[in-house]
Amino acid sequence: MWNEEKSVGLTRICTLAFMALLIAVVATAPWLTSWFISISRAPLEGSQPLFMVTIYTGALPAGYLLFNLWLLLGGIKAGQIFTLANVERLRRISWCCFAGAGLALVSAWYYSPWLIVFVSAAFMGLIVRVVKNLVAQAASMKDEIDHTI
Amino acid sequence: MPIVVNLDVMMAKRKMSSGELAEKIDISPANLSILKTGKAKAIRFTTMEAICKALDCQPGDILEYRGEEE
Repeated sequence: MWNEEKSVGLTRICTLAFMALLIAVVATAPWLTSWFISISRAPLEGSQPLFMVTIYTGALPAGYLLFNLWLLLGGIKAGQIFTLANVERLRRISWCCFAGAGLALVSAWYYSPWLIVFVSAAFMGLIVRVVKNLVAQAASMKDEIDHTI
Repeated sequence: MPIVVNLDVMMAKRKMSSGELAEKIDISPANLSILKTGKAKAIRFTTMEAICKALDCQPGDILEYRGEEE
């Protein structure tokens, strides 16, 4: 029977899969960028180092985001949902999205399709920020209820 | 917070222990401790009613408003 615990477990597996994907992308970045440039129709000769800088720099907020997502899911699994710790984790996740968006915006200087990543990451950061605000309010209400005798 | 809980004063006047009061008003000793130490953010009417009944007092005997200057 499908339940909340299994759902959180599935999300944790997906997070691990994304962590593995991130490691794979970072590990194979030279080959990956070279292959992409070779198949791309855009004139990208000589821009491989720029792509690699974007990937390596972007891996930092991406890794930190996934780490905080993992911690967040651990908190949810432990039944600690509306807590200040989770609010802080969501805040970090949203800032990681904005950091990725900023990087994509700068990278659009040499490859304009990065603008799609910029918009997607910024929008995701905005959504996570709204969720963070909601959880912060819920944590405040929970604290009040917990201290109502 | 300018609202002060004088529960311990009333308990001393009635010579009632925390454990006894907790049992009489049917709340846990931990929650009674939160109430006594002023850490509570709100009190239910039902809890107040039970406290007043157990200690034979009025809500004003338990809660007191003290302004900033006092």
